[in-house]
Amino acid sequence: MADYVLEVKNVDKVYGQDETEVYALRNLSFSVKRGEFMLIVGSSGSGKSTLLNMIGLLDRPTRGKVIIDGVDTSALNDNQLSSFRNSKLGFIFQSSNLLSDLTVLENVTLPRKIQGSMQNAEEESKSLLQTVGLGNQMYKFGNQISGGQAQRVAITRALVNKPAVVLADEPTGNLDSVSAATTIQLLKSLNRKLYQTFIIVTHDRHQFGEVDKVVTIKDGRIVKEEMEASLT
Amino acid sequence: MSDIVLNLSYNIKYQTNYDRLLDYRAQIGIRFITRRKGSLIAASLAVAIAILVVQVNSVIFQGLYDAIVRDQVNYRFGHVYITRQENFITKSDFMLVNWLQRIPYVEAAAPRVDTSASINATVNGKLIRDYAVPVIGVDPVLDKRASTMYQTVGNGEYVSFRNSVVLGALVDRDLGSPQVGDTIKLKFKDQHGNDILRRLTIVGITSTAGSVGLDNSIIMNIDTLREILDRPHQTQSILVKLNDATKDKDVKDLFLSAFPSNADKFKVETIEESAETTLRGFRSGIALINLVGYFGMMSSAFAVVTIQMMQVTSKTRDIGVMRAIGAKRKDVLLIFIFQGMVIGAIGAGLGTVMGVTYTVYAKETHMTFGGSLPLEVKYNWPSIIQTDIMAFALAIIASIYPAYKATRLEPVEAMRVG
Repeated sequence: MADYVLEVKNVDKVYGQDETEVYALRNLSFSVKRGEFMLIVGSSGSGKSTLLNMIGLLDRPTRGKVIIDGVDTSALNDNQLSSFRNSKLGFIFQSSNLLSDLTVLENVTLPRKIQGSMQNAEEESKSLLQTVGLGNQMYKFGNQISGGQAQRVAITRALVNKPAVVLADEPTGNLDSVSAATTIQLLKSLNRKLYQTFIIVTHDRHQFGEVDKVVTIKDGRIVKEEMEASLT
Repeated sequence: MSDIVLNLSYNIKYQTNYDRLLDYRAQIGIRFITRRKGSLIAASLAVAIAILVVQVNSVIFQGLYDAIVRDQVNYRFGHVYITRQENFITKSDFMLVNWLQRIPYVEAAAPRVDTSASINATVNGKLIRDYAVPVIGVDPVLDKRASTMYQTVGNGEYVSFRNSVVLGALVDRDLGSPQVGDTIKLKFKDQHGNDILRRLTIVGITSTAGSVGLDNSIIMNIDTLREILDRPHQTQSILVKLNDATKDKDVKDLFLSAFPSNADKFKVETIEESAETTLRGFRSGIALINLVGYFGMMSSAFAVVTIQMMQVTSKTRDIGVMRAIGAKRKDVLLIFIFQGMVIGAIGAGLGTVMGVTYTVYAKETHMTFGGSLPLEVKYNWPSIIQTDIMAFALAIIASIYPAYKATRLEPVEAMRVG
């Protein structure tokens, strides 16, 4: 049996009711193995961010199931969802979304503080920051570093709780080409080094080069699902 | 090198022990508000000014109330005021005063006799015959110990010899401002209804701030008055000065147990009881003024609500991010409640400093009411602490609604609009 870290089963997301009903996602199903580096691609308005919100448990599907690390998340209440997001998921947003009133180090340790497991949190956060080359920036505030550095902090924050899946929504969307290339390099190296599962939403698949899987979405439906063999 | 400096400055500024010990929600709440200095100053000032208003009200109006109590004690009633339910006290005043002075809480006691006399006076330029004026008979020796009336004689001296009188300043004015050494003719009625005419020598003029003393009366020797009224050895009232004002009820009880009211028909009142008519109006006034102060506090609570709502709006994206990475709704609630606690604590601290500074100023400058009556300014710590606690609690309560609004934000929507 395959070691699936994520299973999306027959997911629909419908906005509005009756005549005003709009399908943002329609009968989506796919699965992701542990350690995979997967892209969700599609044009603007295709439903890829909506899908990421479903996978990230930031929104609930109208129908269907999202199973993460073997847990059917549709049965979880609001508090359980929060705890689940904290322990099983890491988020990287298009803009880094660091808390500007916290230092880089505090931003990175925040998921651990929310989890309540502060043992070695600071040391591990520092070590991760060293790994992404920000060892000398950790006492600066979120608004005192460059966009590329902020995105690397966001990546570190997403990893600090050793989540089952890291979700990234257009992580290079707000970066210049050099910073974007550095960020992608970093994500891929972390994927290899930590055997960390990444699901990345992007409109530009070519930026990422070789990946394990690509799911293409159009009008809320999967129109193409490519695996490593077909990609190479 | 610059990294070491940055690290050190961070450690000093944010990584102190208290910061490490704090719950992360408290830490974020404190950081959110302390890094928005404008909001913090505005909200804290709103709380502080509300406390200051309550404090100023307390200094002025409680000070005025206490000043009136003080003057009523000093000039008219003492801490305990003894009269007889019917007519005059016939027991020996010498015996009663001696008995009272054996009580450890009693500093002094003095008998008085009150009556009225008529004089010819000129009021507003018109001669008024048989102008009635209150006359108080005092014991020149005992009264100086039990009352401070003698200190109010700014011109001349207190009643000393038998046929001397001290005029109240208002009476002196109505009589056309006779001087010390002049004589006046008073017409009394004795206890049998006979008119008694007496010429008496003015030895002093008494004047009190706010005319709360005996400015509208004439003070004379008690024995002379007894003789005029044909009431030898009789007394109308005994005012008792205590060395501990809180023991007034004890002294009252002791006296009544020694002289049961069914036998001697004594009426014993504490200052609160004897000056009730005067004080009742002021108590209502103080209650009203306090109400105004508490309305001010409510206004400050609205200011805190507004500022906290602005904080929630400015932190919408951060709330969305925190929720996305696992913060529960109650965590968000606590962050803004902690913000309210910071506002309340700083506001209460600032308000106390401002209030106490005003109290010190009022005390040191011997602040007066209406330019004459010196206020009785006290450091009322229980009231100050009570006001602080109330302001602190209000700041927290005022933060509940904005905090609740913050918890209702959905992460995706919050990050999109924030």
